[in-house]
Amino acid sequence: MKFLFSIVASSAMLLSSSVIAGSSDTKVALVPGGPHPYFAAWERAGQDAVKDFGLGKADYKVPAEWDLSQQNELIESLVGKGYNAVLVFPGDAVGTNKILGELDDAGIPTAALAGCVEQPTMAKMCFGTDTGHSAYLGTKQLIKSMGGKGKIAHFTGFLVDPNTTLRIKAVEKAVGEAGGGVEIIQVIADIDAYEPADEKINAFMAAQGGEVDGIVTTAWVPAVVASQALTNMGDKRIKMVGIDHDEVVLKAIKDGYVHGTMLQNPYGQGYIGSYVMDKIRGGCTFKSNAPWKSTAQTNQFIDSGTVFVDISDVDTYVDAMRNISLDILKTFEGDFLDC
Amino acid sequence: MRGKKNPFPLSLWPAKNIMKTLMNKKIPNFIFTNQFGLLCLVLVFIAIFSTVTDGFTSRFNIFALSRVIAIDIMIGLAMMVVILTGGLNLALGAIGVSAAMFGGWCMEIMGIPVIPSIILTLSMGAFLGWVNGIITVKTGVHSFIVTLATMSIYFGFMTMLTEAEAFRRLPELFTDFGSAKLFNKYVSPLLLLSVATCFILFYLFRFTDIGRKLIAAGANPEAAELSGISVSTMFIHCHVLSGLLGALAAIMLTTRIGAAIPSMAGQLGMDWLLPAFLAPVIGGTLLSGGKLSVFGTMLGAVLVTLLTNGLYLLDVGEFWIRFFLGIILLFAVLLDKAREYFTLKSVIVS
Repeated sequence: MKFLFSIVASSAMLLSSSVIAGSSDTKVALVPGGPHPYFAAWERAGQDAVKDFGLGKADYKVPAEWDLSQQNELIESLVGKGYNAVLVFPGDAVGTNKILGELDDAGIPTAALAGCVEQPTMAKMCFGTDTGHSAYLGTKQLIKSMGGKGKIAHFTGFLVDPNTTLRIKAVEKAVGEAGGGVEIIQVIADIDAYEPADEKINAFMAAQGGEVDGIVTTAWVPAVVASQALTNMGDKRIKMVGIDHDEVVLKAIKDGYVHGTMLQNPYGQGYIGSYVMDKIRGGCTFKSNAPWKSTAQTNQFIDSGTVFVDISDVDTYVDAMRNISLDILKTFEGDFLDC
Repeated sequence: MRGKKNPFPLSLWPAKNIMKTLMNKKIPNFIFTNQFGLLCLVLVFIAIFSTVTDGFTSRFNIFALSRVIAIDIMIGLAMMVVILTGGLNLALGAIGVSAAMFGGWCMEIMGIPVIPSIILTLSMGAFLGWVNGIITVKTGVHSFIVTLATMSIYFGFMTMLTEAEAFRRLPELFTDFGSAKLFNKYVSPLLLLSVATCFILFYLFRFTDIGRKLIAAGANPEAAELSGISVSTMFIHCHVLSGLLGALAAIMLTTRIGAAIPSMAGQLGMDWLLPAFLAPVIGGTLLSGGKLSVFGTMLGAVLVTLLTNGLYLLDVGEFWIRFFLGIILLFAVLLDKAREYFTLKSVIVS
């Protein structure tokens, strides 16, 4: 499904984009914080960006572990190898700034992708899902499906992920706006890997499954594991809103065990991010009046889009995401760049 | 203890001593040492990677290499001093991170100036090492088990106290040190710090009374005890030194990344374990204790970092690099066993 999405999205972008550039010496490295299925779409995105925009390279390089030092070493070696633009999911919201500054000193443009670094930073932009907003909207959808009352649990990602704190706060905000009818009985974090997620979520379901009325998950792996748990239990009483587009989550939606999921746009992040790096290397600069959004970490944020999908439109979710990517690309240069 | 003099400390001596050594025909002995083999391997790999990869000799890459090598040397030395006792320090990463977080707290929250904060950080590392040493000596349990337990205790305690929040607003004076560039921007000052530490440790183990006692205690505890050496005290000293060096490595890493971060050495600090074992074991430090090689550890760290960097540049996948490092460690351990059988143990410090 992801592959299909990539093909369809890239083809559509190729046909519709009027801003195709060509700079064969731009070599973009797309570096996630560590191994994670969310970032897998960046690989195809980079390949398509090379094809569609005429870049020299746009390669997806994964650190072996979620470790800032390893990510730094990988980036340094890639730069040594000749990559001259870096798109990075920050290993740490502040710690990553050090290497971004050093790359800037070396004349290499960088941007934070899928997660932001805190300002002041030398990253040209932060291009990713407005994770707080996505978690807020997802929780709102969950509360609506629960009839505005009940107890919910929140399963989320790595504590070192700069997005995790934003997501926890956003869920609390949505619950706070529910008028006292909704209560968070458990927040389980640091489980964006299968072993800890499986252990902790199943332990929670065994101990408190009878008390909880809703589950919101704001990271990929917890969404998959929670969807599997509900499917295995055959429980349709507990409502759940997940995140991302893993096949397990999508199937659970179709089968009625999961109410819906908040889609993100990793393909669009890699594809458009590579395009922007090439533009910047080609001499473009960001407009002083560019319509940036602000988050808790930066005021140079561009939302790569998010959309809620439930059983009514789960089969056509690719179209929804493709349209978001196309809309961003169509207007990006005009809105953000002086070339 | 009483063996032939090691010919290696050529680098320590002034020219006339080097000439004297040459006159004494000790150079041929050096050629058969582990360090010479490592030096040759390092030079061979430099030649290979310079030829077959893009960017290996670029200023950016050499600077980055010097910084990584510096930290890996320090981590290797921190493990080496415990291996000397025939023990292990699995809590090394946890000690380093705990000390770094303490240092971050001192600078950011308490507003303590940089130098006193560094001293406090080193003291914290030494204290945590002392706890390891005391438990190991008093209980008689192997340090593998003790430090496996304290790894979780230290890391858990640190996470609980800091709530996994990083200290990110450290003084510029401190963080700029990690970015500073020397020698036409090719070398990090962190490397000079590591090399200086190597010389200090070499001097300690080769030329001081306490250093020789540490080695004697590791080589044959019973004989050392009968000779009037307090083996327990020596083992505790080794753990203290390990904690101190671990804290120093963590300080260097903190200056490099510009923040004290709980995940800086991975979960429970375990990301340090591979470089910590690789450098000393490749370098010629015996896992059974009683023999160490300071400059071998240094060269071991250089070799491992060079290999990692070169494989990156050759586009070998990150996961394959891990695989290769594991193979190298296995090979080094086998070499260690062979060394026990086939080498003279007369050269105890090199």
